Amino acid sequence: MSEVILGIESTAHTAGVGIITSEGSILSNQRSVYIPDEGEGIHPREAANHHSEKLPLLFKAALEEANLSPKDITLVSYARGPGLGPCLRTGATAARAFAYAHDIPILGVNHCVAHLEIGLLEGATDPVLLYLSGANTQVIAYAAGRYRVFGETIDIGIGNGLDKFAREAGMGFPGGPKLEKIAEGDELIDLPYSVKGMDLAFSGLMTAAKQKVDSGHSLASVAYSVQETAFAMSCEVSERALAHTGKTELVLGGGVACNSRLREMAMTMAEERGVKCFVPERGLCVDNGVMIGWLGYQMMAADYNITDEDNMVNQKYRTDMVEVTWR
Amino acid sequence: MKFRGAEAIVETIDWNGQTVVSKIRNKRGYRHPSLEKRLVVERLRSESRIMARLLSQGIPVPAVYSVNTSDNSIFMEFIDGQTLERALRKKDFKTHLVQTAEVLSKIHSLNVVHGDPTTSNFLVTDKIHVIDFGLSSISDDNEDRASDLRVFLESLDSHHSEINGREIFLAAYSKWPDSKPVLEALEVLELRGRYNLMRG
Repeated sequence: MSEVILGIESTAHTAGVGIITSEGSILSNQRSVYIPDEGEGIHPREAANHHSEKLPLLFKAALEEANLSPKDITLVSYARGPGLGPCLRTGATAARAFAYAHDIPILGVNHCVAHLEIGLLEGATDPVLLYLSGANTQVIAYAAGRYRVFGETIDIGIGNGLDKFAREAGMGFPGGPKLEKIAEGDELIDLPYSVKGMDLAFSGLMTAAKQKVDSGHSLASVAYSVQETAFAMSCEVSERALAHTGKTELVLGGGVACNSRLREMAMTMAEERGVKCFVPERGLCVDNGVMIGWLGYQMMAADYNITDEDNMVNQKYRTDMVEVTWR
Repeated sequence: MKFRGAEAIVETIDWNGQTVVSKIRNKRGYRHPSLEKRLVVERLRSESRIMARLLSQGIPVPAVYSVNTSDNSIFMEFIDGQTLERALRKKDFKTHLVQTAEVLSKIHSLNVVHGDPTTSNFLVTDKIHVIDFGLSSISDDNEDRASDLRVFLESLDSHHSEINGREIFLAAYSKWPDSKPVLEALEVLELRGRYNLMRG
């Protein structure tokens, strides 16, 4: 008998409920994204209010789409961190309410690890994950019992950087996709390229980009140059991690991994290096409940021993804090 | 010898009748051509300048014979030694550790940080040679220096946990009169969650 897992995501701006079976077939992937007021970033309380309003509807829509009733669900899995406190608590409360009401086992999992594990569903077995989202920018790979962070941003996340630049240039949230649409050119404007070993920094790049716009360069050409620079940095650090670990698979994850130019660059890098590149479909790259459910199932299938701690939210739940017992 | 690193292919070749090491930074198709050119030239220049600077100060690093920005190559002296990684498996490992700490502190005193001083980037002959300056930079920042120490200690930890070399190495490094703020910066660095957890 196949298991049916319901996953709940609420770490940042996205509320998501996904349903996936133990065979990896996705029955529903419902998402609702909180959009801040114009000129503003994510307000944690407002985002949490959005989630508490939308989550019940998302549960309903997911069960309807999957053509299931709550009693068909065998595991509830939710993201217990890292993320914004109010948003995490809202998702955890929804998860508990649903699980307790229908007497289903419940497990809290790590959001970043979920981004990696969903890449395994694409066929990767032991990859390096290039994880690019708003708040998170990490190069992650498995070594000796944990997913280790081999490189990461030393200031802001790449997505937050793109959003901030876009906002200052007068574009709404989320800025990354808007920049991608207007990015145009073939001539590159020189911008700071900041790679330190396997670590990255983006704040100088975004400040310099703003100055280029202020000094009269067209937004299209600056957007183009920002993408070329920031994504080349990201590909370089993942290539370093591939060389360092000797692994032969690359997985992309996170909202910024929806960007077509980034995908193209990562695939070129992988090809030149002779490694395989796995790019999950966009609905699985962005924050979603499906990946949360899938990770929960992986853990439980390996007889993961749930402790009280697994059902507490943790805003600073780092990737490398998770002891990987299911591989 | 041929080795494919993250950004270059390093191999021994015959050059004017002698064996030399060639390091060629191959093109990255994913990078915009003008960004590619800018980075490669910057890195080629920085790497060869730093090596020349250290060599002129008497630090055992490979001599640079030729730098060519048209094919992004550096030809340098071939040093016929074994890596420190191998040498540390033998019984005179203490001497090697002490000498490595001495050479690294000398490099730091010349305001250079290596960037990647793992046990594979030191070669042992009758002395300790330092190789691969691909990630090196000019810096007198104590945190940058501390980060060099951390990279070295981490590679000691992962490849040589049995010899407990940390104390020997740090004691020798602390002989350098300016080492105190570096060792303090190291403590701060190692307290950061990421590095704690990475040791797992």
